[in-house]
Amino acid sequence: MISEGLVTLAVLSLLAVVIVLSTLIVLIRGVRSHEQRRRERTAEPVRGLLFELLCAEGDEQNRLLERLAAIDRRAWSALEPHVAELLEKVSGGARTALIRLYGLRGATAAAVTDLTRHSAVRRGRAAQVLGRLAHTPAVPTLCRLLDDRDPEVRRAAARALGRCRDPAAVPYLLACLTGPRTVPPGVVTHALSALGPEGMRSVAVGLDHPEHLARAVAVEVLGETGAVSRTAEVVHALRADTHAEVRIRAARALGRLGMPDGLEPLLAAVPPGRPVALRIVAVSALGSLGAVAATPRLAALLDDTDPHVAATAARALLRLGPQGEAALRSAADGSRPDGRAAAHARAALAEAAVGGTRLDVRAEVAL
Amino acid sequence: MARVLIADDDADIRDLVAFKLTQSGHEVIAVEDGMAALRAVREQPPDLALLDIRMPGMSGLDVCRELRAAAETANLPVIMITARSQEGDVEIGFEAGADDYIIKPFSPRELSSRVNAVLTRVER
Repeated sequence: MISEGLVTLAVLSLLAVVIVLSTLIVLIRGVRSHEQRRRERTAEPVRGLLFELLCAEGDEQNRLLERLAAIDRRAWSALEPHVAELLEKVSGGARTALIRLYGLRGATAAAVTDLTRHSAVRRGRAAQVLGRLAHTPAVPTLCRLLDDRDPEVRRAAARALGRCRDPAAVPYLLACLTGPRTVPPGVVTHALSALGPEGMRSVAVGLDHPEHLARAVAVEVLGETGAVSRTAEVVHALRADTHAEVRIRAARALGRLGMPDGLEPLLAAVPPGRPVALRIVAVSALGSLGAVAATPRLAALLDDTDPHVAATAARALLRLGPQGEAALRSAADGSRPDGRAAAHARAALAEAAVGGTRLDVRAEVAL
Repeated sequence: MARVLIADDDADIRDLVAFKLTQSGHEVIAVEDGMAALRAVREQPPDLALLDIRMPGMSGLDVCRELRAAAETANLPVIMITARSQEGDVEIGFEAGADDYIIKPFSPRELSSRVNAVLTRVER
């Protein structure tokens, strides 16, 4: 039996631990808040100078650059977070001025050096800064950081590579999706999408990658960025890829690309017997494509044995305009034998009546 | 010279916009959220409002709808500010009654020109 004294001691010890931890939390918050206020106070006098720089032109801008390049280290370290934030919020001459300021302060060179530091925080922060600066000379080092031992550094490097918009990074970004040190597909997709049209040729090459995840991400990016010139490659992925996930993403990409070439392969992906997720996405993509030629096939799917395929077909018909709507009204009259088509058609028409078609949530969730 | 209201929870953007517009000769009222924007509109009626779409609490869209719903502010010119990644918000902004929009990243010069263009359009 446990003595009363022991219980009291345990409760008191627990109470003491709670008090100490609470005090520590309050203290740490207080110190951080004080430090933040101190930094803000230090930055305040030079923030005005920074805004002047962003709004200045020609000689006036050069003069202000010299003044800001000459501020002391303490003021710069308080101001630098503002400069870093503004790099992503201003464009044109203002952004160029900030990049020049980083160069004049030696902060760009310091960040390049920091990429190889022992501290993961410094490596990650350096990658972030160089990405914001779109400092392309750092691309090879950033590509190496995709294999960093720290997952946060790998993510920071991937994001930075996207901002640098150098197509040379594409093979490295696709490679870091698999292996012992990976970067999440969402981060890679975002980085590849940020490369812009120049990078899409390299991304399309990724459709032949031996890893299915890399192919899936590549086809997703082509659809997301509207790379219409790569429609043929996406069609090939839908028809011939060995992995269902790649085919599903290819179907979705064809819907987003909206090219007529996507119609036939999408129609070929919807018959019964294909994977249900692929059928749902392909049916939804036919709606996105807006091809009225798909009307009879979509109308036939209204009494599909899979209710999700049938419901998606009904919503896809709505997106085809008057012709699709006429097919829905015809199905809604209940002339078909089992009544499922009429139910789906009525549901879609009712949805449209109360505020337009919903996105095909089921299809998105399926992936 | 016009009185311009800027509502943005990002202090750097708010201060930069205020600096640029003041430099261009306008009087600027800077606030950090939607509720404060509505208060400022009542207390010091501006000639134009620049509203960040995404603000905590009351968004720029909500502020715009409120302004359009009230008779005394129904015709106040409104420019929405949004991030590139949220470009879909632009359409919703126009539906809410905005007159123009600016996408971040923006150049301070462009911002000033847009403000002046909207003000000139309204004067006509």
